[in-house]
Amino acid sequence: MLVRIFTLCFLGCFLLVGTVAADDFDTAFGDEFSAAPAELIADPLQPLNRGTFWVNDKLYFYLFKPVAKGYRLVLPRPARVSVGNFFSNLATPIRAGNALLQFKFRDFGTEVYRFVINSTFGIVGFFDPAKSVAGVNVTVEDFGQTLGRYGTGHGFYLVLPIVGPSSLRDATGVFVDSFADPLRYTNLETLEHMGIKILDVENRLSLDRETYESIVRDSIDPYLFIRAAYAQRRLAQVGEDTYNVNIFEGPLFDTDLLNPFDWFGF
Amino acid sequence: MKKILLSCLLILLFSTSGFALPQPQARVKQMVDSILGVLQHPDLNAEEKKAQVSGRVQEYLNVQSMSRRTLGSYWEGATEEQRQNFSALFVRILEGTYLSRIDDYSAGTVQYLKQRVKDNKAIVDTVIVSKELEIPVQYKMIYDADSWQVFDLVIEGVSLVKNYRSSYGEIIRQAGYDGLLALMGEKVQAMESSM
Repeated sequence: MLVRIFTLCFLGCFLLVGTVAADDFDTAFGDEFSAAPAELIADPLQPLNRGTFWVNDKLYFYLFKPVAKGYRLVLPRPARVSVGNFFSNLATPIRAGNALLQFKFRDFGTEVYRFVINSTFGIVGFFDPAKSVAGVNVTVEDFGQTLGRYGTGHGFYLVLPIVGPSSLRDATGVFVDSFADPLRYTNLETLEHMGIKILDVENRLSLDRETYESIVRDSIDPYLFIRAAYAQRRLAQVGEDTYNVNIFEGPLFDTDLLNPFDWFGF
Repeated sequence: MKKILLSCLLILLFSTSGFALPQPQARVKQMVDSILGVLQHPDLNAEEKKAQVSGRVQEYLNVQSMSRRTLGSYWEGATEEQRQNFSALFVRILEGTYLSRIDDYSAGTVQYLKQRVKDNKAIVDTVIVSKELEIPVQYKMIYDADSWQVFDLVIEGVSLVKNYRSSYGEIIRQAGYDGLLALMGEKVQAMESSM
């Protein structure tokens, strides 16, 4: 009897694995030859978006990037990585909260674990022993993903000033996430608050390896290329845990908040 | 009961081994190793490295299949000459793109996670691991002309072919097929003059 139950379970497992794998495999090849070219994300505001994209491009090359380069000279790389770690640790409530909203208990546990370890052994988050010692990577969770998880589509593509690629859904997500940002509940003046956000952005840029430059150099129309990449990347983040759990390096990338150029990981 | 188990195991074995075909994962490893071999060669200068890598990458890519998938429905409407023009330009753009990022790829080590094979198609999951980054890279492959060939790269969930298809499709809708080819020609020239 026991043997029979065991065998049934055994066969059942294989059947299950088999069907899951097949579905996954087929969807991976599914839309290759669809008659209409795949519309990855609606873009009714394209003229406006292209305008904002142009402004962001100029801001990047003539303001943010030069500042990042200067900043790079002032602060050595390990210190900048630590600053990034600090901001990432500070944003834990956003990731943990969204993991919980999606019932991703593993991601929630990961975030709580990382927060406890890095806030203590990691000296208020400046170091990341949870990753460097224990090998536990940060997750990528935000409210845009939570909405996506429950079936909300992008609505339409949006290029936000300074922030960069987003969508109606994801911009809403950034707004909602800002309520879980600990900085919101400090007594900082508006200017100080902005200064900290700018430091966060410039710090990311100083660690970035010219991702945006190479996209501009290599694509016929960077606007279209980035839009497509954004739609695909967000879809992968919403749909599959694999891109969220351990495979995804994090200190430089967490909430998309004020993260114009880092999301494209080439 | 034992027989059932045995046959299950056999089926499993055969279904994963993909008959007698060479393993796609081994093919990807061969490609990566051969490229890294050039990149990490101490006696070559940057120019020589680029020249050698460009030839090697083409050996492993199925350009025809990539072009077809990139153009999607527009491939069917194109003449043979247009198709060839497109493929020729496309391969140069891919090469330029790859070569401009080559430093990013040469730093890390590559881990091979798993491979899935079905008929003449395969997906190989890898991850490039360097000191600070882990970049998941998925190779989509097709068995053609007696070898496994790569026709798409999915980097952190972003499929290269889908990206090209989406942006090129929009350009074709606005500027037509010849408009796209003209833009591609300009891009290739700009890329190759800056190298």
